[in-house]
Amino acid sequence: MESITQAGGHALVLLFSADPELWNIIGVSFRVSLAAIVVTAPLALVLAFALAYARFPGQRPVVTVVHSLQAIPAVVVGLAVYLMLTRNGPLGDLRLLFTQTAMTIGQIVLGFPLLLALGHSALQAADRRAWETARTLGAPPWRAMLTVMRDVRFALLAAVIAAFARIIAEVGASIMLGGNIQYHTRNIPTAIALETSKGEYAQGIALGIVLLTLALALNFCLSLLHGKGAMR
Amino acid sequence: MTPSAPLLRFRALRKTIGAGRILLDIDEFAIAAGRCTMLTGPNGAGKTTLLKILAGLEPPDRAFVDYDGTSLPWSAARRRYRREVIYLHQQAYLFDCSVAGNVAYGLHGLGLARAEVARRVAQALDWAGLAHLAPRNARALSGGEKQRVALTRALVLAPRVLLLDEPFTGLDEEARERAGFLIERLKADRVGVAVTSHELPPLARIVDLHLELRDGRLAPPARTQRAANKTHRPADAAPRGRVVYLNTGAQDEAG
Repeated sequence: MESITQAGGHALVLLFSADPELWNIIGVSFRVSLAAIVVTAPLALVLAFALAYARFPGQRPVVTVVHSLQAIPAVVVGLAVYLMLTRNGPLGDLRLLFTQTAMTIGQIVLGFPLLLALGHSALQAADRRAWETARTLGAPPWRAMLTVMRDVRFALLAAVIAAFARIIAEVGASIMLGGNIQYHTRNIPTAIALETSKGEYAQGIALGIVLLTLALALNFCLSLLHGKGAMR
Repeated sequence: MTPSAPLLRFRALRKTIGAGRILLDIDEFAIAAGRCTMLTGPNGAGKTTLLKILAGLEPPDRAFVDYDGTSLPWSAARRRYRREVIYLHQQAYLFDCSVAGNVAYGLHGLGLARAEVARRVAQALDWAGLAHLAPRNARALSGGEKQRVALTRALVLAPRVLLLDEPFTGLDEEARERAGFLIERLKADRVGVAVTSHELPPLARIVDLHLELRDGRLAPPARTQRAANKTHRPADAAPRGRVVYLNTGAQDEAG
């Protein structure tokens, strides 16, 4: 077991020496999380729009439930999807468990309510006149919806970034659904958990640096977007 | 259709809000081509809601609509007169793009070629004296310029009815005169106009009928009715009393 200082130095060597295992882990993380966000974003944002602009009975309780689901623990999502995908589960025949697809499904389930809630808040705060103006100028509902979304695009993009940051850093669902298989389903958070438990800090620190850099970059983007949105 | 026959008529219009409070309970309200109707009433009387219902932006609890001689339910009527009955907010809302992009917005839905859209936009901006602002971001304009862009954006679609929500609020004397002149031009082009105001009409000469919205009902206020009788009317206007703008059951337009 190496000291923390040694591990830090080793971590930097790993990062800058194009260590194949390390970069494979980073690749898995981005592949899975980007796929999840690409699937989640359009669906969640359209539904968020419907929730903000349509009027239907029971709307308020639905909105409350959606906002409550933001806080759903990743491990509970992992368990629920695991029970669906396990060999004896309803989707067991698809043999998806311990694959990157299963991890993507878990992250979709985890990210969807978060993006739905954040998107709903952004669209709810949008100027209602955008919708009315688009409609009175003859735009069909789908075009009026895109017009409203374009007007609050910075807030929506911020919501997408926040959801991406949450799913790429989650460990509970990924470890249950992916199984943390080397060169296959091992991603950044599961690798950090594993290496730390083995006392091998170098790889954990290197991956931690990647996650921290990502978090800083995303936060920087978010503050830029907030600034742009506020200036309008 | 006779020159001043109602183009758009709502009958038995009812709108409730909250726990069943009646906001609007109007027997009949009509807008005729080339005529201007002024709606006044205190804040919260429902003037904006009425205009939005007319424009198809807000659903009434109940309403029967006659448009261009055809009777339709409200939901079908609003599809029928899409782009022909246009509502303008008190404070113009412009999309976050150029002035030209704003004016082109409604035209893009007409299936026109790109070049034709550009030609119509350029023509409309010339007409409105806004050509020099075409590439500017519409959000960066002054309040008065925004209003003119919003109006141009509506007029480029050649609407048959324009619903103007408090168009005179916040305007100085000169801007009011200009707005009044524009409404006169619209009337001359056979556009039906309805304007709301929370105060007495600032430009009486453009108003053919002044109605007051109070307690959910429309009525020609007695004081203004006398003023309306003195109002200038276009030469082709039908004899007074033949065109029924309003029938609250209480009072018909004086003959």
